[in-house]
Amino acid sequence: MVSVELAIAGLAIGAVAALSGIGLLVTYRTNGVLNLAHGGIATLVAYVYREMTVEWGFPVWLSAVIAMAFLAPGLGLLLERLVFRPLARRRASAAETLVASLGVLVLSLGMCAGIWGLGTRNDTPSIFPDERVGSGSWSIEVDTLSTLALILVACVFLGVVQNRTRFGRQVRAVVDDRELAEMSSIPADRVAAVGWAFGTTLAGFTGVLLAPRFGLSPYGLSLVVLTTFAVIVAARLSSLPVAVLTGLAIGIAQSELTQFSVTGVFADTYRTLTSSLFVVVLLVLLLLSPKLRELGGDAGSAGRLSSREAPERGTLGERHKNLIIIFAGIVMLMAPLFFGAADLRKAFLVPALALIFLSLVIVTGYSGQVSLGVAGYAGLGALFSLKLEAGEFPGLPEMPGLLAILIGALLVAPIGLITGYPAIRRRGLALALTTFAVGATVTVFVFNQPDLSVGVYAEPLYLGGWMLNDKAFYIVEMVGLGLGLLAVYNLHRGRLGRALVAVRDHTEGAAAVGVDVRNLKLLAFTVSSVVAGLGGALLSHSTGSFSSTQFEPMQSLLWFTAVVVFGADSAVGAIIAAAFIVSINVFFPEGSSTLAVGILALSLGWLPGGLASAVRGLVRFVALRLADEFVEPEGTAPRPRIPSQAGVLTPAAQPTTGRSPAAVAPGGGVTVDLTAVDRVAAARGLTLTPFGRSLLGRLGGGAPAAALPVAASLPGPNGASPVTAGTGTLNHPEGGRP
Amino acid sequence: MSRAELRAVGLVRRYGGLTAVDHVDMSAPPGMITGLIGPNGAGKSTLFKLLTGVEQPDEGAVLLGDRDISKLRPDKRSRLGLVQTFQVPSLFTSMTVRDNLLVGVENRRRDYGGGLFGLGVRKNPSHEQVVDDMLASLGLSDLADFVAGSLPTGALRLAECARALCAHPDVLLLDEPASGLDAVETERFSALLRRIADAGVAIVLVDHDVDLVFTVCDQVYAMVGGKVVAHGDPATVRANPTVQSVYLAQGSVAA
Ligand SMILES: Nc1ncnc2c1ncn2[C@@H]1O[C@H](COP(=O)(O)OP(=O)(O)OP(=O)(O)O)[C@@H](O)[C@H]1O
Ligand SMILES: [Mg+2]
Repeated sequence: MVSVELAIAGLAIGAVAALSGIGLLVTYRTNGVLNLAHGGIATLVAYVYREMTVEWGFPVWLSAVIAMAFLAPGLGLLLERLVFRPLARRRASAAETLVASLGVLVLSLGMCAGIWGLGTRNDTPSIFPDERVGSGSWSIEVDTLSTLALILVACVFLGVVQNRTRFGRQVRAVVDDRELAEMSSIPADRVAAVGWAFGTTLAGFTGVLLAPRFGLSPYGLSLVVLTTFAVIVAARLSSLPVAVLTGLAIGIAQSELTQFSVTGVFADTYRTLTSSLFVVVLLVLLLLSPKLRELGGDAGSAGRLSSREAPERGTLGERHKNLIIIFAGIVMLMAPLFFGAADLRKAFLVPALALIFLSLVIVTGYSGQVSLGVAGYAGLGALFSLKLEAGEFPGLPEMPGLLAILIGALLVAPIGLITGYPAIRRRGLALALTTFAVGATVTVFVFNQPDLSVGVYAEPLYLGGWMLNDKAFYIVEMVGLGLGLLAVYNLHRGRLGRALVAVRDHTEGAAAVGVDVRNLKLLAFTVSSVVAGLGGALLSHSTGSFSSTQFEPMQSLLWFTAVVVFGADSAVGAIIAAAFIVSINVFFPEGSSTLAVGILALSLGWLPGGLASAVRGLVRFVALRLADEFVEPEGTAPRPRIPSQAGVLTPAAQPTTGRSPAAVAPGGGVTVDLTAVDRVAAARGLTLTPFGRSLLGRLGGGAPAAALPVAASLPGPNGASPVTAGTGTLNHPEGGRP
Repeated sequence: MSRAELRAVGLVRRYGGLTAVDHVDMSAPPGMITGLIGPNGAGKSTLFKLLTGVEQPDEGAVLLGDRDISKLRPDKRSRLGLVQTFQVPSLFTSMTVRDNLLVGVENRRRDYGGGLFGLGVRKNPSHEQVVDDMLASLGLSDLADFVAGSLPTGALRLAECARALCAHPDVLLLDEPASGLDAVETERFSALLRRIADAGVAIVLVDHDVDLVFTVCDQVYAMVGGKVVAHGDPATVRANPTVQSVYLAQGSVAA
């Protein structure tokens, strides 16, 4: 039963998806970058186009020309020059490139949200006249017809370029091996730049064509564009015709589905299918096609996302370091208990978000897998716990709120297990896309269903007959965070911890000595989903109700990027990231945190290893200069100490700057037990100078971190050197292993 | 104690048009050192991947004792006693050498089965003892507490061998373990191999140091272009005209 009208209607979306796919493929084929930012760029261009037509009153044609002929390609050139060329230059890993493109996505969404807000705008004018040509059931919108023509032109153009011109040959050479191509004097950078400009131009078209149909909102529109990844996955990132045909086919199929209707329990599910076929196809393709398992290399193995610039040199003397920093962190997290009521409520979000970030630390930092679907698990935890609380969870009795939070989170485990099983068997981009597709599918089929997720409110929590007030709730959250940290701690120590790090460092090597790689990854994935679920449950209790916008698929990408920026393997980094995002959202207009995370993510291109590692590098630089100031030169007798030293210094160890209370930084402004610093230094055969002691005390650094590049190639039995003591100044999230 | 023999039966692995491993039959009996030589790109490492399950063969089977292990995952094969080292050392770079070895001990088959996925956090003091003994016997004790990522390649190779031994192998596959060792170290290394084999382990040794292979091995396979071109005791293989021509052409060997 093929209806011509529906098919033609479906072509409209199908053609845009095909166009988007062509853009993605061209960027991938010329640069080797799967541009996750495609949706972000599409959205940004669409916003600018709307601004020009609606706000500034430019004619449509002029706005379209400016947006598509200047802005979109310009963005591509800019990205190539500033972000991706440096990465290619230093042969960055596929994982780093993936994060960079996520950074661009987050940045462009942040710009849109920052400038135009998060709301949806439905007044974007269509570029093409809103008319139809043809007659009867064979009439087609001008819009669709033009898109189809554009596809045809693009395909023919690309075909000719690829097969008939010198440039096409150059492209192929560059794709094969960029360095080799450069050596044979092929302008690799130019090829890459042209590829980017072409890709972003098509992204711009995609955005401008979609905005009038779907409404214009930062997250919404970019999500639509991301689901068109189904098209290029079907094409296995190579075949242009397959991508185009898949796009058209899914569009038509989706439209044809609307002529049927299903009644009963699956009515809603079916109706959703008719508007979300792209997501479903993306997921199904990724799950069913075994050949896609290693799509596009090793981008998903996130071993390289570690905040520690492995390999570190020297000895790992102490393993459980920086206890003081952690203690300080706890004190900081407790600070909101002394805030006013309104501020305390805002601080509610910090532990909840920190838990979600911790779940990413588990799965990405410790087990080395990219996960772009965490919002799905968090949202499920939230929904489950609220339903349990209301006694609406099928098969389970109504339970008190606190228990519901816990059980709700645990109920996410089976879902983590089931979805994790296929996911962990995939690597690289396939893993990244699979986790994203899982998250998006959950959103579409669960969170966006009014029956399931509208009007789900959190009840007040009771403990032993007492209604918990805000402070008590915050303490409950801290307990939850403690549970999460406990999970992280247990996954990180002993036999299990070693096995996980082994898998992350060298999966094949780990398997070669018998480490059960698959089950370990599955364990990490499942535990991570529970921790995310707990975070989600607390998040919805902080805000009082379930809100699907809190857990939309794009959040997963933003959160993942934030975690990588703050050090993917650092539990403290996760907490700081949460505090950072929440405080930015409190002090600045909405969307600012997205913008900030995007900027930070892009700076990773210049600071490989993340913020933590950049801070570490800076500290090392300073420490090298100060080494002599810190530590008595070896061989000389220790200077006599001033007896009252510690007593004098301790008060000085108060915070010198007025920090915003929400931006907690462990170690900041806490009186430090100086004797501990001395003890560690002494254990290393070093004597601190008074200056060293005072600086350590002021900065609140605890025990010196163990491993620091000591300038020795094959180190002697004792790697201690004056520099080692300098690490005591570390005042950053490095103490990631509580 | 009877240990299992490793056998490859008709193994084939194709990469697109290239047949990297072409109907290879091979056996590595316990207590013997089996050498595997061949020029670059002969398919030696690929053969190892097929044996350990890192990659699946297009045809053929891998047998350990009487058991067909062709369908098992690499870690399962490892726990059955088939352990390999890699051409590019595969140490866990963010861990100390000692912890690297501990991973080997902790996941080996005899201790498997307890706890969650066999990974209970129960501390077993004897594990640390095993590791210390292994480090001592390979002369690695001084490096025990260094992060693996900071070591030079020679030490890495030795540490990787130590980690493989900690996994208690029946069959040990070594991919160019002696590259980067000097003459004295190579000497010591071949003595070590002998000692391991005498304990009943089947060793398969890939190395470009043909002299080492011919002195230390009990039998040698020579591969060219994915095929086994010669097999037998070292003297026979060395005298084989194909081997002669390949290696003389490469100019790297002494007949
Ligand atoms: N993943 C792969 N994809 C395509 N070709 C491959 C792959 N792995 C190996 N090959 C090819 O298979 C052939 C055999 O490679 P292999 O690494 O097994 O050789 P080798 O005998 O170990 O060489 P070497 O002495 O240099 O280590 C080579 O031509 C190589 O290019
Ligand atoms: Mg090899």
